[in-house]
Amino acid sequence: MSTKAIPGRAGPKGPTFAVLASNEVGLLLITVGAVIVFSYLAPGFDSPFNIYALTRVLAIDVVIGFSMMVVLVTGGLNLAVGAIGVSAVMVGGWAMQVAGLPIIVSALLALAFGAALGALNGILTVAMRVHSFVVTLATMSLFFGAMIVLTQAEAFNALPAEFVSLAKLKTWFFASSMLYASIVVGLLLWWLFHHTLIGRQILAAGANPSAARLSGVPVERTIVVCHGLSGALAAFAGLMLTARNGAALPSMAGQLGMDWLLPAFLAPVLGGTLLTGGTLSVAGTFLGAAMVTVLSNGLLQLQVGEFWVQAFLGVILLVAVVLDRLRAHVMAKRRVR
Amino acid sequence: MRKSIFTTAASMALLLSAGVAQAADTKAALIPGGPHPYFAAWEDAAAAAAEDFGVEAEYSVPPAWELSQQNEMIESLVAQGYNAFLVFPGDASGTNATLGELDDFEIPSATLAGCTEAPTPALFCLGTDVYNSAYLGTQELIDAMGGSGQIAHFTGFLVDPNTQLRIDAVEKAASEHDGVEVMQVIADIDAPEPADEKINAFLAAQGDEVDGIVTTAWVPAVVAATSLRNLGDQRIKMVGIDHDQVVLDAIKDGFVHGTMLQNPYGQGYIGVYAMDLVRSGCTMKDDAPWLTTAQTDRFIDSGTAFVGADQVDNYQDAMVQETDKIMADFKDTYMNCPN
Amino acid sequence: MSATMHLLRTDWFGLLVAFAVGAVALGLAQPSFLSTYNLYVMLTAFSLSILIALSQMVIVAIGQLNLSVGAIGGLAAITFAGVMEVWSVPIPVAILIGLLVGVAGGTLNGVVTHVTGLNAFVVTLATLAIFKGTNIGITEAQPFYEIPDAVKSFGNARFGFFPYLLFVSGAIGIAVWVFMRRSVLGRQLLAVGGNLNAAKLSGIPVGRVVVAAHVLSGMLAAVAGMLAVARLQLGQPTIGDDWLIISFAAPVIGGAVLAGGHVSVAGTVLGVAIIMLINNALVLLNVDPYAVQLVLGALILAAVALSRFREPA
Repeated sequence: MSTKAIPGRAGPKGPTFAVLASNEVGLLLITVGAVIVFSYLAPGFDSPFNIYALTRVLAIDVVIGFSMMVVLVTGGLNLAVGAIGVSAVMVGGWAMQVAGLPIIVSALLALAFGAALGALNGILTVAMRVHSFVVTLATMSLFFGAMIVLTQAEAFNALPAEFVSLAKLKTWFFASSMLYASIVVGLLLWWLFHHTLIGRQILAAGANPSAARLSGVPVERTIVVCHGLSGALAAFAGLMLTARNGAALPSMAGQLGMDWLLPAFLAPVLGGTLLTGGTLSVAGTFLGAAMVTVLSNGLLQLQVGEFWVQAFLGVILLVAVVLDRLRAHVMAKRRVR
Repeated sequence: MRKSIFTTAASMALLLSAGVAQAADTKAALIPGGPHPYFAAWEDAAAAAAEDFGVEAEYSVPPAWELSQQNEMIESLVAQGYNAFLVFPGDASGTNATLGELDDFEIPSATLAGCTEAPTPALFCLGTDVYNSAYLGTQELIDAMGGSGQIAHFTGFLVDPNTQLRIDAVEKAASEHDGVEVMQVIADIDAPEPADEKINAFLAAQGDEVDGIVTTAWVPAVVAATSLRNLGDQRIKMVGIDHDQVVLDAIKDGFVHGTMLQNPYGQGYIGVYAMDLVRSGCTMKDDAPWLTTAQTDRFIDSGTAFVGADQVDNYQDAMVQETDKIMADFKDTYMNCPN
Repeated sequence: MSATMHLLRTDWFGLLVAFAVGAVALGLAQPSFLSTYNLYVMLTAFSLSILIALSQMVIVAIGQLNLSVGAIGGLAAITFAGVMEVWSVPIPVAILIGLLVGVAGGTLNGVVTHVTGLNAFVVTLATLAIFKGTNIGITEAQPFYEIPDAVKSFGNARFGFFPYLLFVSGAIGIAVWVFMRRSVLGRQLLAVGGNLNAAKLSGIPVGRVVVAAHVLSGMLAAVAGMLAVARLQLGQPTIGDDWLIISFAAPVIGGAVLAGGHVSVAGTVLGVAIIMLINNALVLLNVDPYAVQLVLGALILAAVALSRFREPA
């Protein structure tokens, strides 16, 4: 599912295709290896409950990763993913619990609100001609602050039972049904970036804005679209998390929504989406999230020294990205020969 | 463990262990919200209770202070076969979903130190009534201020629903006295550097007007105590929270009037005891003398005590006594047991 | 170009005007703003934040981002406090050890970034977890309390409104300014950030420059962490948790280009000053705690918009 930018992209890294094409393979190998090791070492790891719990975490983190990925492809960043996600679900929670709107309408409202906040980031980025990093640094505080003012930090914890039960469904191989929702989202994104005009325009604009502008791509519009899409995806991840938590929580993504930043960046970046823009890998993002989820779950199962989990995870992540890089390097060399 | 101040509890436990019905298969987990000094006593409590009641009890700290990390920790412990959970709720509403899942697996759970919002699957909440603690602390402060004056309130993250309860409680206590007013609330200062910056900025602007400071979160209490010491100011009265060494020393030296102590050791110890009883077939009594708080109607007070300069040297005695008192008739008061 | 035009085009002039206007307005609204103690409080926070912002700025200069600034600072802080408490190490040695932590952290970031060619953003995302995790692993979230009196009193000593801490960070700030403007390595930093390929072609040892920038960043973060210990009189494991936003906001408000190649020490320092001013105003004007984040976000956005205003299209 790897996406290469439009042909003729002026990339700094030469034969990117070889590297990207195998990026997913590397992640898959590490993840499968980790699954085998953990199943062997930790008796609870392959229990039905753990598979269910793990896939549920994965489902949410994948969409959080997608939310960042669609902005990375423009060469930008979105620090406000968590703040948008939590703002959107508070709107959704209000719609369901206070306004009594049907679940589907409330969910759509939350998605639309997320998209609107995201689009606002995009518009500010374009209008102020600054890096989206700067804009979203400020709007993170702005959105989160507004949410706190409006909700006074009160949760909506009497959501309709049907909505909450969505998160409890299990399907084949004990996996959480939410994982399928994430896969569908992934397929839609893949289709968007491969088979639509706007998708190709986004990739072109991300790779080389001035060249794209010359060839008639509305660069500014693609930036706004990507930020809007990012906001909608953040809202979707937030809705899944809300169903999982059984309540719309202001604290869902931590202070300023910053708890989401780590999963948001890890998945796409491990998956081979370049921060410079113009390329992305939907499958890579999925596998990146899978690797991180498996590793952190496995470490918890092994009960490595109680306070050391985070440090171990950091070391493993660093080793994983370095190894992957090494493998890609070797592969690229072979291919050149 | 770097600190084990609560060694006294072992002797207390000896008295009790003889009469306890033991379920050999209890494997309890005590899970704080994240790494935080408040919970260190849980580790000692878990070890002591495990020995005294012949159960397994493990203190497991989520790698970071995040609701999702705590949930993942709980899930992984379920997969490892833990069958009783004592949880400091990462979110008063959000933790209910995870406890509900435990319930689906017929794994009992209770909340420690803080409560979940009713309706909740937690069998009980053993902890500090945050509202009451803040209220009582403010009353102590007002007494120390001589019954009138201006109060400042320093507290933690607003996303924590408990923070609003604390703000309300301080407001309520102040409103009950003529001539007492809450002049300023500073929140979101759970990190030390912003706490230092904002508390000192407040003291710079209002140091002459303010008569009392009440803090209802760990870091603001530590930083405010340090600031008053640095200023050498003993005119401004302060009531802190919890048992950080800095706060206790400041009480001894007269810079802080006192602190609202909680009972983390007792929470952990009694919590494991209760879970073991539940696993051996006991159920919670519906007509027990449950307390009702803003959050739940299944509340057991683990003890909130004001500790001033007189008690500060033996402050843990107050809590050991409190723990003994709850333990003495816990089973009869709160549980229906088969035999 | 006239002198006025020249001033207007610098990174720092507009910010200086904005700061002056803000300070005068706040002084009028709340006279205690100008009290000796309040100035001291602001300058103390300022001393810490300058170092945090400069630590990020040198990485922005080479066109990268360092997410682990706070984690390195926190680890250096608890190491500094820890060796003094546990091993009774003399203060100068403890400072050296703290600095070494910064150097080691920065070296790890720099070497991995350069050797693998990975984006520093990715590398520091992983090392952030390593440094913070090591911090939690060592401390088990408990602070180190036994800080020598000399360190404590240094953290709180002042001449009038001038905190001793500012001697340290002021001297370092000036040193970084000279380094960026006058030294060969400083200019190489900017060259690498401005155009990597051109820098390579002109024979700049890119690897050494990248590693040097990360080591410098680590050392600045470590000094900030140790100053925080002196200020708080406590080896708090949570030192550094809150640094991320200010570390990025100040250089950016100060006119740094995130793509690299252009940073301004004076602009960064003024960026810190403006954020300090905003934070101070939020307390002095008794803003409703629920509105603090909202106002802060709006003001940062305004500051950025203002700093872009003077830029030609």
